[in-house]
Amino acid sequence: MKPSVLEIKNLSHSYENETSILENINLLVKSGEIISILGSSGCGKTTLLRIIAGLEKQSRGTVEINHSIVSDANFSTPPENRNIGLVVQDRALFPHLTIYENVNFGIRNLSSEIDIPLEYLKLFKVENLSKKYPHEISGGEQQRVALARSMAPNPDILLLDEPFNALDKQLKTELHNETKKIFRKKNSTVIIVSHDIEEAKFFSDKIYKMKNGQLAEMSIMTKN
Amino acid sequence: MQKNSVISPWGILSSLVLVVFVLPILIVISSIFGEWSENWSHIYDFALFNYIYNSSILVIGVLFIVLIIGTTSAWIVTNYQFFGKNTLEWALILPLAVPAYILAYTFTGLFDTYGTANILIRDLFGFEDNYTLFPNVRNLVGAIIVFSFTLYPYVYLVTRSAFLNQSQSMLEAGRLLGLNAIQIFYKLGIPIIRPAIIGGAMLVAMETLSDFGAVEHFAIQTFTTGIFRAWYGMYDIQTAMQLASMLLVFVGLFIILEKNSRDNARYTSKSSTYKPKKLKKLKGYKAFFAFVLCFFPICIGFILPISELSVWMLNHNLNFFNDKFWTTATNTIFLGIISAILCSVLALIVNFLIRLKNNNLSKIVSSLLSLGYAFPGLILAVGIVQLFVWLDRYLFSGSEIVLTGSLIGLIFAYIIKSYALSNSAIESGYERISITLDESARTLGTSDIRLLSKIHFPLLKTSLLTSMLIVISEVVKELPATLILRPFNFETLAVSTYIYAAEERMIQASAPAVAIVLIGLIPIIILTKMIRLSRVGRKH
Repeated sequence: MKPSVLEIKNLSHSYENETSILENINLLVKSGEIISILGSSGCGKTTLLRIIAGLEKQSRGTVEINHSIVSDANFSTPPENRNIGLVVQDRALFPHLTIYENVNFGIRNLSSEIDIPLEYLKLFKVENLSKKYPHEISGGEQQRVALARSMAPNPDILLLDEPFNALDKQLKTELHNETKKIFRKKNSTVIIVSHDIEEAKFFSDKIYKMKNGQLAEMSIMTKN
Repeated sequence: MQKNSVISPWGILSSLVLVVFVLPILIVISSIFGEWSENWSHIYDFALFNYIYNSSILVIGVLFIVLIIGTTSAWIVTNYQFFGKNTLEWALILPLAVPAYILAYTFTGLFDTYGTANILIRDLFGFEDNYTLFPNVRNLVGAIIVFSFTLYPYVYLVTRSAFLNQSQSMLEAGRLLGLNAIQIFYKLGIPIIRPAIIGGAMLVAMETLSDFGAVEHFAIQTFTTGIFRAWYGMYDIQTAMQLASMLLVFVGLFIILEKNSRDNARYTSKSSTYKPKKLKKLKGYKAFFAFVLCFFPICIGFILPISELSVWMLNHNLNFFNDKFWTTATNTIFLGIISAILCSVLALIVNFLIRLKNNNLSKIVSSLLSLGYAFPGLILAVGIVQLFVWLDRYLFSGSEIVLTGSLIGLIFAYIIKSYALSNSAIESGYERISITLDESARTLGTSDIRLLSKIHFPLLKTSLLTSMLIVISEVVKELPATLILRPFNFETLAVSTYIYAAEERMIQASAPAVAIVLIGLIPIIILTKMIRLSRVGRKH
C-alpha cells in the first residue's frame, strides 16, 4: 500500500467577519497520486491549495505532510520549509531572471553532478530557451517553464492552480499529454485545482468536488 | 512557526525605528511641561501675536493664490488642446525645483529699488535714478507671491490627476443640463475633486509654515523666524522648543485635514460609466488666453529666477566657481548620497515588512514615519539637538561632545524629512511586483532575506534609484535643519546661498543657488516623465 503524503483533518477556514469558506475538510493523498478538485469560482478550492502550501493559515484543523503536522490552530510551518511546488495561472516567473535561472531558483542541492535545471527544461522541451527571459517567450512556453521550475526541487507535493487556463485548446491538449507523462515518470504527487471536468478526468486518480466549502469525492478514475 | 507574530525580530526592529524617529518630536512636545522662562514672557508680550498673525495671513494668502493657479491650470491642460499644451502640461511643475528662499533672493534682486527690473525700466524709458516702478517685495505680500509661485505645483499635480479621472460623460451631462464651460469648471469639476484639492492645499500650508529662508530674507516675523531667534538670539532652546510646539499644533491640524481629504478622495475615482476625456480644441484668442494662463506661473516661478541667476553668473565670468564652491558642493552631495542610501534602505525594509507580514504594526510604523515630511526642518532640528545633548550628557557623562554638532544629527533630520518621499517611490515599486512572485519563491524554499535580495531588490532597482534621487534633491534644498544641525564651519549649497543672501551678496549666492535648482530638477524630470505617461488610456 502506498504511503500517504498529505493528510488534512477537520480543516475549516473563514475570513474575518465572513461566513465559513471551508468547512470540515478531510483529505488523504497518497504518494504518486494525482487528484483534482473541481468547483466554481470562489468556492474555496484555491484557498485550500494556499493553506496546503502554507501561504494562508486555516482557522481550525490540521495539515500533515509526510506524517508531520505542518499546521494546526497554533502554528504553521512557513511555505519555504514545506517542500511543496506551486504553479499558478499567471505562472509567476521571475521577470529579471533567465529561464535557466528561474528553474534553478529553488534547487537546494547545488553540489549535484547532474544539471537539474537543464534536465527539467529538456523534460518540458524548453531547453533551447534557457538563456531567454520570461517576456521573450510565449504563454505556452512560460507554462512549461513554470511547471519545470516547480518540479525541479523535487517537491513532496505539486499544487497546480488552474495551470492550463490561459492556454488555447490545441496548446492545452498538447501540454496535458506531455505533463501527465512527466508526472507519471517522476511519480509526482499532484493536486490540481480546476473548473474543467475534462481536464480533471484526464489527469486524475480521484476527483473531488467542492461545494459550499465542503469536499466530496466524485469518482475513482482508472489510471491511464 | 506562525508568520504574523508581532513579537518577531522584524516587528521589534520596526518598533525600535519608530521610537527613534518620533523621539525628537516627543522631546519638542514635552517642552510645554517644562519651565517657561523670561524670554517666553518677552515673546508672549511682544512677538507671539505677530508670529500667529503673519503665519496665518501668509498661509491664507498663499492658499488663495495656489488654489486659483493650481486648479485653473490643471483644468485647462486636462480639458483643452491648444498651442504648447503638451509642453505646458509638464512644465507647470518646474517651479518645484526652485526652493522658496531662492525665489525670494531673486525677487529682491529683481525688484529692489536698484534691482535688475527697475534698472531696466529706468534705462529703457530714461527715468530718474530714484524712480521705482515695481513696489517693495520685502513684505508679507511679497512672501505670499513667492510661496504661491513655488508651491502651486502641489495643487496642480493632485488636481490634474483628479481631473484626468473625471468622466467625460459626467461633464457632458452637465452641458446638456445647461451649464456653460466656466460653470462646468466651478459647479462640477471643482466640487467633485474637492478632497484632492484640500489634500494639495494642506501640503502647501505645511510647506509655507515650514519655511525659514524666504521669511527670514523678507524680515517677516513668523513662527520659524521666532524659533530661530529664540535659539540663536537668546540662546534659549527651551523657549525655542515651546514655540515649536505651538507651530506643531498648526502642522498637526493640517496633517489631519490632509489625511482626511486623502481618505475621502476615493469618491473621485472612476465609476462604471467612466469615459475617457476628449480634449476640446481651442483656437484664436481663447487658445492664446489658455496659453498665457498656463505660461504665467511657469514664467514667475521658474523662468524669471533662472534667468536672473544666469545673468548674475554670466556677468561675473563664473569666477565664483572656486574651491569654496566645490567644497560646498562636495559636502552637499556627500550628505545627499548618505541620506539617500539610508532613507531608501529604511523604506525598503519597512515596505518589505509590510509585504511580508501584512500586519497593522508595519503599516502604522510606515504611516507614522511618513509624517516626518510634514514637520518643519526647524522643529526637527530643535528636537534632535536636545536629544543629542541629553545623549552626550548620559552616554559620555558630558565629558565629550560626540553627537551634538556632528553630521549624524543632520543625516538623522534628513532621513525623517525625506522618508515619505522615499517610501512613496518604493511603495509604488512594490505595487508593480505581483504577490504571486513572492508565493512562488516561498514554495521554492526561499527565506525572507533571499526573497528580498534575489527577487525584490533586483525588481525594485528603478524605484530605489528614483527614491535616492528624490532624497538627494530634498537634502540639497533643505535649509533650516542644515543651518542648525551642521557641524561648525561645515557648509552646504543651501547654507552657502543663505549666508551670501543674508549678506546681500546676491551675485555670489547665484552659483550655489543654480546648483540647487539643477539638482532639484532631477526628480522633476522623473515626475514630468510620469506626467507624460499618465494620460488615461495611454499604454505604459
